[in-house]
Amino acid sequence: MKKEEFIALLEETIDTDELNGSMLLEEIDEYDSIAVLSLMSMYDELNIKVSPNDFKDLKTINDLIQLAENEIK
Amino acid sequence: MAKISFNNIKISAIVTTVGNKKVTIEDEASNYGYDEKMVKRLKKRMGFNSRYVVDNNNITTSDLCYQSAVDIFENTNIKKDEIEALLFVSQTPDYKAPSTAIILQDRLELSTDTIAYDINLGCSGFINGLFTAYSMINSGLTKVLLCVGDVASKFAHKNDKNLTPLMGDAGSAILIEKASGFNASFVLHSDGSGFKHLIIPSGGARQPVNEDSLKEKEYNDGIRRDIDMYMNGAEIFNFTIKVVPKMFDELFGFSNISQNEIDYFVLHQANKYILQNIAKRLDLTEDKLPMSTMTVYGNQNSASVPGTINGFLADDFKTKKLKTVFAGFGIGLSWGACVVDIENIYAPKIKLYKSTEN
Repeated sequence: MKKEEFIALLEETIDTDELNGSMLLEEIDEYDSIAVLSLMSMYDELNIKVSPNDFKDLKTINDLIQLAENEIK
Repeated sequence: MAKISFNNIKISAIVTTVGNKKVTIEDEASNYGYDEKMVKRLKKRMGFNSRYVVDNNNITTSDLCYQSAVDIFENTNIKKDEIEALLFVSQTPDYKAPSTAIILQDRLELSTDTIAYDINLGCSGFINGLFTAYSMINSGLTKVLLCVGDVASKFAHKNDKNLTPLMGDAGSAILIEKASGFNASFVLHSDGSGFKHLIIPSGGARQPVNEDSLKEKEYNDGIRRDIDMYMNGAEIFNFTIKVVPKMFDELFGFSNISQNEIDYFVLHQANKYILQNIAKRLDLTEDKLPMSTMTVYGNQNSASVPGTINGFLADDFKTKKLKTVFAGFGIGLSWGACVVDIENIYAPKIKLYKSTEN
């Protein structure tokens, strides 16, 4: 998957648009506890192992991309 | 490994009674500090809408189960003195001791020859209770009455925005009996390493009730006391999407039944969002895997599978020959599934609790 495709998938999952890598998660209205559930499901479907703890220290969209680094070419 | 098959045992009646007070997420939004936008988002994404709860704090799970059981005796040929065992599966027993099942034996006027005891389980309680009932019949009994349910409105704090808007009150009664030609297979699992993800911390012997456990404390996900249920929603969600699809592979492999042969997947109705995620992984749609019980009635804990049957599938369960999968997953952590032959069950539409006071 290309980075742009992954960002598009993030947008669909979080239910928002115009995300970019440096955006701060805390400044995204839709990034809440429901979004975290949706993201866990999204990573699971990509066969990427994540746990709720992995989301605790994330700051930016780039950190979400980092969790999927092996899938992104 | 807990994989077991049974022959010549059937379910012959399923009745569910729910709390008679309907509340909506809009009614309660202020309890959880949700603004209009959040309510909309929760309705759309999670399926929040309404729930049925008991309207009087004195009504217990056993009251709901009692009305369900009485309905079976009034509307089928099953006689009270034929019941050889009564199982009560709940996390909201009438008393800490003795077992509520024994109180129900007397209240239902069952014989004192009846075996009666409680099983403490929630989301997986119907599957484990059904397994225990099938095991009893397999051991030689002929009729077992299984009562399952919770009055979750009593264990979730009204300001817990994670858990309370999900919870409905329900009590079901299910009659299991010997009958030739009916088969069932079960797979059952437990993992206590996750016990803290869904827990009532205080009130048992490990952490007895004291002054501190009665204090209302504020958390990110609302207000609760240590005597109230706590849920780590993210951990439970993560656990569910990991174990449930795998459990179905295991069930079909073991029972030699293919997914195409199944008429209905009746799963514990945790919330619509979890069920949508499971359905997607199994490539199933809502006509095979009902997912609206929590949206209408609330999450009914161990009564959620029978609640879904009485709520949405009653006509088919009454009139058709079906191969059905039941599954439960959650508190414990505990999860299980079974594939069961169904034919001509007594399964009326869901009933509202009738207040006995006038």
